[in-house]
Amino acid sequence: MHRIDCPWCGPRDEAEFAYRGDATVRRPAHDAGIDAFYDYVYTRANPRGWHTEWWHHAGGCRQFVKVVRHTMTHEIAGTGKAGDSLPVPAE
Amino acid sequence: MCAAEPRSPLSVVAVPAHPMIAELPSAIVDIAARRGRAGDLAAAIRAEFGLDLPPPGRFAASGDTTAVWIRPETWLVMAPRGAEGALARRLVETAAGAASVVDQSHGKTRVRLAGAAAPRVLAKGCRLDLHPAQFGPGQAAVTPMAQVGAVLLQRDATPAYELVVGSSYAVPFLEWLTDSAAEFAGTH
Repeated sequence: MHRIDCPWCGPRDEAEFAYRGDATVRRPAHDAGIDAFYDYVYTRANPRGWHTEWWHHAGGCRQFVKVVRHTMTHEIAGTGKAGDSLPVPAE
Repeated sequence: MCAAEPRSPLSVVAVPAHPMIAELPSAIVDIAARRGRAGDLAAAIRAEFGLDLPPPGRFAASGDTTAVWIRPETWLVMAPRGAEGALARRLVETAAGAASVVDQSHGKTRVRLAGAAAPRVLAKGCRLDLHPAQFGPGQAAVTPMAQVGAVLLQRDATPAYELVVGSSYAVPFLEWLTDSAAEFAGTH
């Protein structure tokens, strides 16, 4: 069970959150073509290590929280608001 | 159309009475500041109600009106049930376009739980640590309680809590709360 430090509500249990995927993907330009949009929607890296991802605080303030989590150890290095740029630790 | 005389969802079922638990029939209104207007809204509310809209994790009260932070730049304003829609109309006039105002009086139900054993009653369904070192008077939280989304606030050090849940869930929630409190009925 993770304890996720919501920037608004403070530390809360993982059960209050919904995982919403990779927070690093960026929408391509509108004329970037079908391949770029295929990658944007479907292609994910599935890294073993640090991963910046969205957790939606569905049971609390309903905000999207950015979380830097280690996919193997589940350690959380930092959390922030949607617009924050979070440092990702070296491996 | 709304019914002229709202009826509590708890009025149609026979939930056993418990000395620690009471419904607080309330007008409950959601106010969400429009983009860039949070400062205007706070000033207007301060002038009309004499209370400062609270920061995250807190509530503020003035007289019988309470404002609870529930989301960024969004608050629940609660007062004892008066004329239908009166609190919402007063907030619309006060906000003067600085906030979206939604009357939740029919949609939400407010319950009070008070007594020394209250933290232990809630602990059976609440993920928050309600020990006085962690959660005290003036604090509020939005959190699932017994699988039901709830707004929790602590009124005083009795401790007395107030819980706001969706009216559709009010009956099963109160059944859970009453059941959870049953073992403390003689000791509160």
